[in-house]
Amino acid sequence: MLGKLMKYDMKSMSRAFIPMWILAPVISLLLSVSIRSAIEWTDNPLLSGMINAGSSILMIITGLLFAAALVGLLIMTIMFVIQRFWNGLLKEEGYLMFTLPVKVWELIVSKALTATLVACVSIVVGVFSGVILAVFSTSNIVYAFAYVWKNLLNSVIEVGPVFWINMLLLILVLILGTTGRIYHVYAAMSLGHLFATHKVVGSCVSYIGISIIMSILNNIMSAILSSVVPRQFYYMTSYGMMEAMSSLYLLYMMLVSVIEIIIFHVITERILSKKLNLE
Amino acid sequence: MGGMLIQCQDVWKSYGSRPALHGLNLQLESGKIVGLLGPNGSGKTTLIKILNGLLTADNGMVLVDGSEPGVYTKSIISYLPDKPYFAGWMKVSDLFDLFEDFYMDFDREKADHMCRALQIDEKLRMKTLSKGTKEKVQLILVMSRRAKLYLLDEPIAGVDPAARDYILSTILNNYNPEGTVLISTHLISDVERVLDEVLFIQNGQIIRQALVDDIREKEGKSVDELFRDMFRTVPFGGGEW
Repeated sequence: MLGKLMKYDMKSMSRAFIPMWILAPVISLLLSVSIRSAIEWTDNPLLSGMINAGSSILMIITGLLFAAALVGLLIMTIMFVIQRFWNGLLKEEGYLMFTLPVKVWELIVSKALTATLVACVSIVVGVFSGVILAVFSTSNIVYAFAYVWKNLLNSVIEVGPVFWINMLLLILVLILGTTGRIYHVYAAMSLGHLFATHKVVGSCVSYIGISIIMSILNNIMSAILSSVVPRQFYYMTSYGMMEAMSSLYLLYMMLVSVIEIIIFHVITERILSKKLNLE
Repeated sequence: MGGMLIQCQDVWKSYGSRPALHGLNLQLESGKIVGLLGPNGSGKTTLIKILNGLLTADNGMVLVDGSEPGVYTKSIISYLPDKPYFAGWMKVSDLFDLFEDFYMDFDREKADHMCRALQIDEKLRMKTLSKGTKEKVQLILVMSRRAKLYLLDEPIAGVDPAARDYILSTILNNYNPEGTVLISTHLISDVERVLDEVLFIQNGQIIRQALVDDIREKEGKSVDELFRDMFRTVPFGGGEW
C-alpha cells in the first residue's frame, strides 16, 4: 500500500517539479553563455559599443532569471513540503486519504519519502546548475574540465578508500538531515492540528518550540561529548587520525538524525491516529 | 443477513468546549436504508466522521462490523463527504485509478458506465468541473463500490429537486443490498420514500430509532410530519401559526 500511496504523491509532485528541474540548468547554461559572450566581445575592438551594451544587458537579464530560478526552486520545495502535508492530510483532501484503507504511518512515510526525494533532487539540481555556470562561463571549457578531472584523480590517489567512505557517509548525513527537517515540519503541523482554533499559529509555535528544545539538547550533547572525548583526540597528528575522527563524527550525525526522525515520526503518527479531527 | 453492523456505546465528542455528541448509543443492522435525521448542528456529520475514522471520539465505544475504526472498517465503508475532497489537478480517470488501487470492492466498469450515462468526460480535470458535476463524480465513486456500509453525508443538500431524484435512484439502484446505507439529511420529504428505518438525532443523542412502516401505521404520520413535530421550535415572540 505504501508503494501505491507514493505513486500518487509522486504524480502530484512531478507535475510541478520536473519543469523546474529542467528549467534551472537550462537558464544557468544561458547565463554562462551570455557571460562568456560579454567577456569576449568586450575584448573585441571590431564590435561596436551597442553590441557590448546589449550583451551586458543580456547578461544581467539571464543572471536575474538564474537567481529567480534558484530562489523559486527553494521556495517551491519548502511550499511542497508544507502544502502536501497540510492540504493533503489535514484539509479536505485528508477526507480522501484518511478514508483509504491504509495505516496512518503509511500516509506519513509516503509524504516524507516523496518530500525527501523532492528536496534532494532540488538541491542536486541547484548545485548542478551552479557547476554548469562555473564551468561554461570560464573561457576555456576543455581546460576547466581537465583541471577538475586531474584534481579529482589526484585526490583519489592521495586519500584512499576512507575518504570515499566518508563522502558516502556525508551524503547519507545530508539526506537523513533533510528527512529530519521535513519531519520537524510534519511534527509541528500535527501539534498545531491539536489546537481547537488557530491551527496555523499553533503549528508555527510548535515549530519554534521544537527548535528550541532541539538546540538545548544539542548543547547538552556537545558539552557531554567534549568532556568525554580524550583531549589528545583534538590534536590530529596524522591524516589517518583526521579521517577516523571525521568518520566518527559523521556516524554520530547520522545517529542524531535517525533518532530525530523516529521521535518526530512517532509524534506525528500518534497524533494523526489518536487525535485526528477533520472538522 | 442480520448481525450488528454499527455499535456505538456512550460516545462523547466535543470540539473544544462545544459539545457535539453526548453519550450517543446506537445499534444498526445490515441490509437497510437508514435515514439519520436531525436539525442543523445535532451531530449528524460528527457521528458519520467518527464511524469512518476522520474524527476520534473523546470517549465511548465505536464498532463497525465488530472492529474499531481502522484499516478494516475503512475498507468496508464507502463515504460520501459533505464537501468535495479532490485535489484539483486529478482527472476523473485518476480518481477511478486511485479507487481501483485501494478498494478491492470498487467496480471500475460500473463507474465507467455511470460516467458515460451522465456524459462526464473522464479526461477532464476535477478543477474544471462544475460543482454539480463534481458531486456526481463523487457519487459515482461512492456507489461503484460494493461496500458493507455506505455513509452518505447530505447527498442531496446542494442540488436541485430534479437532481435529487437522480441521486436517490442512483443510490437505490447501485447499493450493495447486503450492506447498509446511512443517509444524513434534513430534507426528509425527499428521501422518505427510500428509507426502511430512521434515526432521530438531537443534541448529540439518538432520541428515537424506528421503522418507517411502524411510524406510518402506529402514528399515522409521515416521517416528515413526525420530524416537524419532534423538532418544532416556538417562534421568537411566542405563538403558533
